[in-house]
Amino acid sequence: MVKTKYLFIAALIVIVGIVMAISAFPSEERRVKKRFRLLSECVSKSTEENGLTMLQRMKEIGSLFDAQCELKVPDQSLSGSYTREEISTYAGSARSQASQLDLKFYDLRVAFPEKGVAKVTLTARLTGQSAAGERMDETRELECLLKKIEKKWLFSQIEVIEVLKK
Amino acid sequence: MDVRREIRQFFFPSITPTFLIRVSSVALSAYLFFGYLCIPFSIRGSSMEPTYHNGGVNFCWRLRYLFSEPKRHDVVTVRFAGSKVMLLKRVIALEGEQVEFRNGKLFINGREIEEPYVRWPYHWNLSPRQVEKDCIYVVGDNRSMPIESHHFGQASKRRIMGVPLW
Repeated sequence: MVKTKYLFIAALIVIVGIVMAISAFPSEERRVKKRFRLLSECVSKSTEENGLTMLQRMKEIGSLFDAQCELKVPDQSLSGSYTREEISTYAGSARSQASQLDLKFYDLRVAFPEKGVAKVTLTARLTGQSAAGERMDETRELECLLKKIEKKWLFSQIEVIEVLKK
Repeated sequence: MDVRREIRQFFFPSITPTFLIRVSSVALSAYLFFGYLCIPFSIRGSSMEPTYHNGGVNFCWRLRYLFSEPKRHDVVTVRFAGSKVMLLKRVIALEGEQVEFRNGKLFINGREIEEPYVRWPYHWNLSPRQVEKDCIYVVGDNRSMPIESHHFGQASKRRIMGVPLW
């Protein structure tokens, strides 16, 4: 009985140790996924958001992108190469037109085609309400390329994949 | 006394190896069945009204097209990057067929097709287009909204996840 008790305690210590090691030294995949979590937090907006928070979020959005980021959106004038300042300004202007926003990412699949490059396929869902009171609900499949620059994973390309082609 | 003990045993069973094996196999079977074969989903949006209502709950049966191909008028689920977010749509045209909407009527290869599931009048116009190889053409049943606001079009057969159970 005593032996079983000690075995149980030892197993518990090992499990706690493994969990702590995973959180202290996250894998590259977890680091990449964390960038998406940050992007989701920065883009999302609550109805009580004040001007100061908005400016802070805009700055944070910019810091998630590479100096030049390529956007590929089918049938949209948005496609092209943008600086992080341009992306930050564009995101700020888009956020200001909404009273509430919620960006969520699903089914993230991370691959590392070469060293320092991560390719992520995912589903992005943006819901919310425009300042005029209209409901928004947009879902798209995205393919993103992130580059590791100075130990940080930065978005360098975002492509919208066409699921239904009219 | 025996009944009381049996009731207690039912709600608070003794943790024996047999009990643990039984619980684990039930949990594993449920995880595999509901995670991969019969995926529960909730319906958001009104694009399939009145056949499927906003807020309804259903299951996606994944083995429907294991030995067969989708047919016209089938309702299918189309995936984005994974199975967390899917589109619920109706197949209206198959590969190689020419699809067209003329003043609120569906034409396949120039022949008008009856659609009993479309209950509300609509006035869509879409120029003729050919469905590519290994693709199907899907549309929602609710066409009361303008054609620009409705998410529909050609999808690869590889994106079909299954069919709703009811």
